[in-house]
Amino acid sequence: MSAVDIAQALYLLLAALGLSLAVSWAGLPVLGGGAFLAVGAYGTALLGPGGAGWPLGLAVLASVLLGAVVGFVVAVGASRLDGPPLALATWALARMVQRLLLAYPGTFGGVDGLTRPAPAHLVTRTFGLDLALTPVVHVGVALALCLLVIGALLRAARGPGGLDLAALREGPEIARMLGIPVARRRRTVLAATGAVIALAGAGHVLLLGLVEPSDVSPLVSLQLFVAVLLGGTARWWGPVVGVAVLTALPPVADALARAVDADVERSRGVLTALLLLAVVVLRGPVGRRLARPGPGPAPAVRPPDPGVAAAGDTVLVRHDVHVRYDGVVALDGAHIELCKGEVHALIGPNGSGKTTLLKELAKDPHAVRTPQQTVVMPRLAADRQVALGARGGGGRRLAVLRHLLATPSSRLDDPRVRAALQATGLTHVTGADPQRLTAGDQRLLQVARAVATGAPALLLDEPAAGMTADERTRLRAVLRHLAARGTGVLLVEHDMRLVGEVADRVTVLHQGRVLACGTPDQVRRDPAVRTAYLGTLAG
Amino acid sequence: MDVGVLLQVVLAGLSTGAVLGLVGLGFSLVAGTSRVLPLAHGDVVVAAVFTGVLVVLGRTPVAQDLGALDSAGFVVVVLLAGAVLSGLIALVVVRPYRDQPLGWVAGAVAAGLLLRAVLGLLLPGQGYAVPDPLHLDALATDGLLHLPGGTTLPVRTLGVLVLGLGVGIAAERLLVRGRFGRSLRAVADDPDAAALCGVDPARVLLLAFVAAGVLAGLAGLLDAPGHAVSVDDGVVLGLEGIAAAVLGGLGSLRGALLGGLALGVAQQAAVHAGGAALQDVVPLAVLVGLLALRPQGVRR
Repeated sequence: MSAVDIAQALYLLLAALGLSLAVSWAGLPVLGGGAFLAVGAYGTALLGPGGAGWPLGLAVLASVLLGAVVGFVVAVGASRLDGPPLALATWALARMVQRLLLAYPGTFGGVDGLTRPAPAHLVTRTFGLDLALTPVVHVGVALALCLLVIGALLRAARGPGGLDLAALREGPEIARMLGIPVARRRRTVLAATGAVIALAGAGHVLLLGLVEPSDVSPLVSLQLFVAVLLGGTARWWGPVVGVAVLTALPPVADALARAVDADVERSRGVLTALLLLAVVVLRGPVGRRLARPGPGPAPAVRPPDPGVAAAGDTVLVRHDVHVRYDGVVALDGAHIELCKGEVHALIGPNGSGKTTLLKELAKDPHAVRTPQQTVVMPRLAADRQVALGARGGGGRRLAVLRHLLATPSSRLDDPRVRAALQATGLTHVTGADPQRLTAGDQRLLQVARAVATGAPALLLDEPAAGMTADERTRLRAVLRHLAARGTGVLLVEHDMRLVGEVADRVTVLHQGRVLACGTPDQVRRDPAVRTAYLGTLAG
Repeated sequence: MDVGVLLQVVLAGLSTGAVLGLVGLGFSLVAGTSRVLPLAHGDVVVAAVFTGVLVVLGRTPVAQDLGALDSAGFVVVVLLAGAVLSGLIALVVVRPYRDQPLGWVAGAVAAGLLLRAVLGLLLPGQGYAVPDPLHLDALATDGLLHLPGGTTLPVRTLGVLVLGLGVGIAAERLLVRGRFGRSLRAVADDPDAAALCGVDPARVLLLAFVAAGVLAGLAGLLDAPGHAVSVDDGVVLGLEGIAAAVLGGLGSLRGALLGGLALGVAQQAAVHAGGAALQDVVPLAVLVGLLALRPQGVRR
């Protein structure tokens, strides 16, 4: 391999690393890597020496910024798209860029592309620097850039940035509930991806002195995607292995093409397709080999602390709430008040509007809701999920950047996480694979995520669902403990025994209106409630 | 613009649109039934046509008029190839990964790439003239449709429009009503509940892919004879079909047909105004714009 080949492979690796940030770290299926490469390569060729005549460094910088802008715009455009439609949109984008390059040969040079004899020297008068751009220098620069990106990924993964990426990847819905600005994080991720890939494209043009549409074709987009998928989810070495395999692909394809007397591009296509299929088939087994450990034994149930908080201050109040879904009236003038330090149960028949009311209340910045269904977030260790809650509850501005630069104030907020784990009796799950927790511990973990946000109002949607009798006892202790700390807990629950044991106050919803509100005993004796629940004969 | 040119643009657009509608119909059918996007659908269209070419004319095809027997054989092979290829994709790359979007996205993209690459190995030329087994040119003696103002249009344009739209509407009726239509919608709404009612979702998924494949074959038969066809044309054709399906609201068969017609007219208008370079850019821009602004389609 010549130095040019090595430098080319390293620039490809740089592009794959950039794409891996979006695909394997943030879980966004971006099939349009070639579009960003095109921005970097054609941008540098058109703006720099031989094109608009800008100084080389400025042209590269402008192309990289343009790559970031394109990534940002893609994220804004795809803000309503999740998963497959995003793949479709970016795939169409890669095709469209290719067609545009061919449609305007006057600007982009048609199939032959743009030729830019590479400058032999990079001279900057400001710094008095004179650097000969030999292939060996390219190898050094590309290697340094790759190591820089890998280092940044690894460092970010351990800090708040890693939590953000995990949130985007494992559960954008949950992340939103916990207060993490998912759309903004996606824009940042895609802008970074665009910038890094554009930088790789600029390097490619400077190295070879030439860019052709086939260098940034949809096939290249797919090859980058394969390279990134090969390593599975969120592993820095994935792109490295992937690019190593891709680099070995052309010689094999050429040999194959010679052997069967066929077109080289076609045999590369066949091999890429087979590789992609193989990666899809092998993902499962590789992932299983790298599984996490299970939880340790559960700690003893702590007795509830004696109530110390001053009850009475209202944390959340809504009057006259109306919500309709396509003509179905879900809430018809409901009202509710949640106080500091109280456990307030929200009960009512199915379809009475409990969850809708919870969702309405969750719009309040002081409140955090847990979902009715258990959302496991399988790849995020239990305590990291709680840290995600802490991150959603508010952190420093530019926390990711501070952490990357290792400023003194950049450590993860551990006290909040530990406190939330203790408050929910989950200290034994630290580092555990969430899929291997009991159903009850998974429900409690959802509560712990919400507790870690530090929100003064917790809205829990049927936290006891699927719990055994023992686990219900633990949940009762946890809820009383939270109230004793001064948190207002609003709880949707069907188990009237649990409600009677744990709630200070009960609100009964019926057909979108409040039927009754009072202590559990008052509510139980209320004739209207008895009618709604048991029918007129029994009442 | 005089009436003749306007008619020319609109009729040519509707004709292209009818073909796009058929491709979009198949896409919408599969997407609506299974929530899986058949990203290789356009490649199935082109691969079906070239399977017919390979079987009837061999590896060095020349444009020629087909006899009655060859024509019938060509039609049967193309429709069958569409059904088989689409069904194979369903079985091999979609069914095992239904719940893993990254899995079936990669699988479907790989399937399309494999089809193109294998066809490219067998047929290395830049473009091929494909014979018209339906002989739509024979609708008029000189093969032309004379429009007011002295403009003309190949008469097969009209044939493609009538046949494509007719089959599209018939397929839509057939797939929305009737027993199969009911199971389709049941599986689309809730596969588990449908399974409890005795509908096998895996079988319905396969049948949806197969039906889409037959429609893809027909779309290929209508579209290919008009111009030189390359084995790579499937990608853009697929994206155009997807644009038609998304335009009409993904999952709506009638919407896909209407979306195809609208897209076809827009495409022809753009070509008339801005040159042939825009032919492929317009549908892609429509698709990207739609996904960004109204992913649920125009009608809803």
